[in-house]
Amino acid sequence: MLRKRNTRRSEGMQILRQTNMEALEKARTLGSDEVLTLLEKKGLEGRGGAAYPTAKKWRNSRDTPADERFIVCNADEGEPGTFKDKLIIRHNAETMIEGMLIAAYVVGAKKCFIYLRGEYEYLRPRLQEQVDSVLAKAKMDGVEIEIVRGAGAYVCGEATALLQSIQGFRGTSMYKPPNPTTCGLWGKPTVINNVETLTCVAQAVLFDDWNPSLRLLSLSGNIKNPGVYEFPLGVKMSTVIDVARPEKKLKAMSFGCFGGIMPVDENMAITPEAICMEQCQHGAYSIIFMDETVNVVDISYSIAKFYTYESCGKCTPCREGTIRILNLLKKIRNGKGVKKDLQTLQELATHIQETALCGLGQSCGNHVLTSIKHFPQDYDYYLKKGAKT
Amino acid sequence: MKIKLNGKEIEADSAKSLLDTCRENGINVPTLCYHASLFPEARCRVCLVEMNGKLVTSCSTKPREGASIITNNEHVMKARRLNMELMVPEPACRKEDDLEVCGIYEEVGMRSARFANIKEYKPDLGAAVIRDNNKCINCGRCVKVCADIQGVYAIDFASRAHNEHVTPYFEKNLADVACIRCGQCILNCPVGAISERSHIDEVIAALDDPEKHVVAQVAPSIRAALGELFGMPAGTLVTGKTVAALRRCGFDKVFDVDLGADMTIMEEASELLHRLGNGGKMPMITTCCPGWILMMEFFYHDLIGNMSTCRSPHEMLGMLIKTYYAKKAGIDPKKIVVVSIMPCTAKKFESTREELETGVDYVLTTRELGRLAKMKKVDFASLPDEEFDPALGIATGAGVIFGATGGVMEAALRTAHFLATGKELEKLEITEIRGMKGIKEGKIVLNGKEVRFACAHGGANARQLMEQKDKYHFIEIMACPGGCVGGGGQPIYRDPDTLRKRTEAIYGADRTSKLRRSHENPIVLQIYKEMLGAPLSEEAERLLHTHYVKKDRF
Repeated sequence: MLRKRNTRRSEGMQILRQTNMEALEKARTLGSDEVLTLLEKKGLEGRGGAAYPTAKKWRNSRDTPADERFIVCNADEGEPGTFKDKLIIRHNAETMIEGMLIAAYVVGAKKCFIYLRGEYEYLRPRLQEQVDSVLAKAKMDGVEIEIVRGAGAYVCGEATALLQSIQGFRGTSMYKPPNPTTCGLWGKPTVINNVETLTCVAQAVLFDDWNPSLRLLSLSGNIKNPGVYEFPLGVKMSTVIDVARPEKKLKAMSFGCFGGIMPVDENMAITPEAICMEQCQHGAYSIIFMDETVNVVDISYSIAKFYTYESCGKCTPCREGTIRILNLLKKIRNGKGVKKDLQTLQELATHIQETALCGLGQSCGNHVLTSIKHFPQDYDYYLKKGAKT
Repeated sequence: MKIKLNGKEIEADSAKSLLDTCRENGINVPTLCYHASLFPEARCRVCLVEMNGKLVTSCSTKPREGASIITNNEHVMKARRLNMELMVPEPACRKEDDLEVCGIYEEVGMRSARFANIKEYKPDLGAAVIRDNNKCINCGRCVKVCADIQGVYAIDFASRAHNEHVTPYFEKNLADVACIRCGQCILNCPVGAISERSHIDEVIAALDDPEKHVVAQVAPSIRAALGELFGMPAGTLVTGKTVAALRRCGFDKVFDVDLGADMTIMEEASELLHRLGNGGKMPMITTCCPGWILMMEFFYHDLIGNMSTCRSPHEMLGMLIKTYYAKKAGIDPKKIVVVSIMPCTAKKFESTREELETGVDYVLTTRELGRLAKMKKVDFASLPDEEFDPALGIATGAGVIFGATGGVMEAALRTAHFLATGKELEKLEITEIRGMKGIKEGKIVLNGKEVRFACAHGGANARQLMEQKDKYHFIEIMACPGGCVGGGGQPIYRDPDTLRKRTEAIYGADRTSKLRRSHENPIVLQIYKEMLGAPLSEEAERLLHTHYVKKDRF
């Protein structure tokens, strides 16, 4: 059922265009420098959330002196509400693998890893077949691709923790610099790219009409038509809502867990700047919609629970702060909260944002800050409920 | 490059961390998880400073050209304090322990608990080292030291988020894993979550028992460190005061483990010569360090045949107290209680080993002795210098230097040369095996034959030396950095120069000794004459030697 729906919707999506080994061939004719210039010209940015220019990353890695380099495909799609990489792996894995090989060719890497999310284990046998067949067709000397299965930790989607995990250590984040690009796996330059980015690489190299502004939106929540959709940046919210088809009036939307919660404004254009204006982060454009029946405090509580489970535990603010946030939200929901608890919540969330070690930690207070800012009435509901009893 | 540090323009080195830059410029930044000789982890987030308005951890951040660094504004202080409040729900400061974390409470201005304590862990009670995870703040220094300096990897972090905790593998107790009981984790714990298994209560009970004849024996390195617990500067030699303090505490006799060390040398040097002469297994490796013995039994049990069979000095002397001394003084050995004062937590384990019949009843660490003296209201600083009890109290400089890395080797060579050639070494001080270098080596000619020797201190260095062991004839290993002066039972120090100062005090004591070679010790000679016959005799083997067994890691 699901597959059918996905296929129907994905017809004509740019991300699913196949390159059939032609992109790699073109890249090899162009040469390393030319490919980098081409990607720069096409304006390809990382699709994992940080939007770092791909060509710049590759160049940094290529120009760092080393005897060995690595390419890692980050397929640890752990963000709640995000499922675009799954779509790509299921329907266009060859193009993604081709993108990896282009990266390996440009950077000069021999060993590539696909870090596959633990829960996607069922995708692995087919992916392995595709890896083998693409490698056989590519005839690249000595280039290997290994699929590494994650063990289910959310934090391993973060680049440094992911590398720790590949090397066989506990998945905990490391501070930057040094950046993985220059000092990653076993201390060697390592390029880490998202599934979507690598797929785009192959397409951007091959197709002249490749459109850099198209983004994959993973929509879910209180809507009738959840799924992955392709929209250009700047699309009106009302257009998105039209395809999502909510049953009731939408009240709030959350960008995954980490991006924050903001009100749904039909007139808003979806751009990084507009989202940033509301103190939220777009990340990989996964949007969880909530309608009027939802109290945002409950959502915030669920997210807090998630972080209290998924923090790697390394740095103090994230390890100890997430559980304090959860406990305070629990207290508020139980009707025992007071106004001062909101201040403490904000203080803790800001503190974690400012002092945590990695991207996970720095964003794990977003939901608290944005929900208090945008939905104070939901907090008031629980505070007043407590005051009555 | 130029940067601004608290508004003052200074010249900074771009390769150095902000923390080092601050400290070099006389500005202290509090740290918890930072260890000067290890790669920074940036876990605790207490060393925060502001760089260009953004909070960064100074231990892991390098300055940027023209950056403005601020170390003490409200933003920084508040963030540091909040991290401390999150880490330590209940600030407990026991004055007698002089915990490192207490200084940081002061520095960040933390007075009281703000968040409820959510930790519920069972204490881990080993025979030598005990851990209480409820006090732990996850700074991870014990983990790093165990792995990177000691090469043991007995503990690590497990679980995630607020459940993350330090644990031996498979959530076992320390007593059931391949832990060498060196106690380096104790020295590095800023909150006192790891400590030695205390025997103070048992010793106080024995001291109070009129039936018992309680004897203390003091290890060489105690005299170079005990003073620190009473406010004296590092490297103060307090031999006489230590003896006096033990007498004030109520010990009937105070003996010197240096004498045991002299006995060890007689046996060990003879064993070395015996092996050299008879094609015995080479290299021969010293066994004075119980931490190293455990490490060998866990990780290098194929070397059991290479280990000297000599017991460690305090086990030798403990045996002699219950046989030789008991007979001479006419006391029933059953009524004698031998208490070893040791710089070491592994010695606590050693006296419970099944492989040796021990003469030692209790082991107190240097820190425990300090605590005992304070409990007994001994005014240490004003004590007179007293001598060891003469029955087993004369020792040589060779015994004293056991306390420093390379000391056993040096003492053994002094005697081995004499035993082999009948002549004394021309150069008594073998300087190439002194000092804090991780692995030191040298050679000496005995009867026309070249004998190559090496010594290592710290478990990781020991591992490195074991990789190249076949190059040598004689190897000394001490599990703790610096040897016994840096032992896990010694006063906790923060100044990295402390070990060097203690070592200097040890060598100073050797220089000023009248006797500097073990084979000159009149009591040693007397013991051989009256009881043992000669080194390696049957009686000596029974009382002074032991054996080792392979131990399973899992």
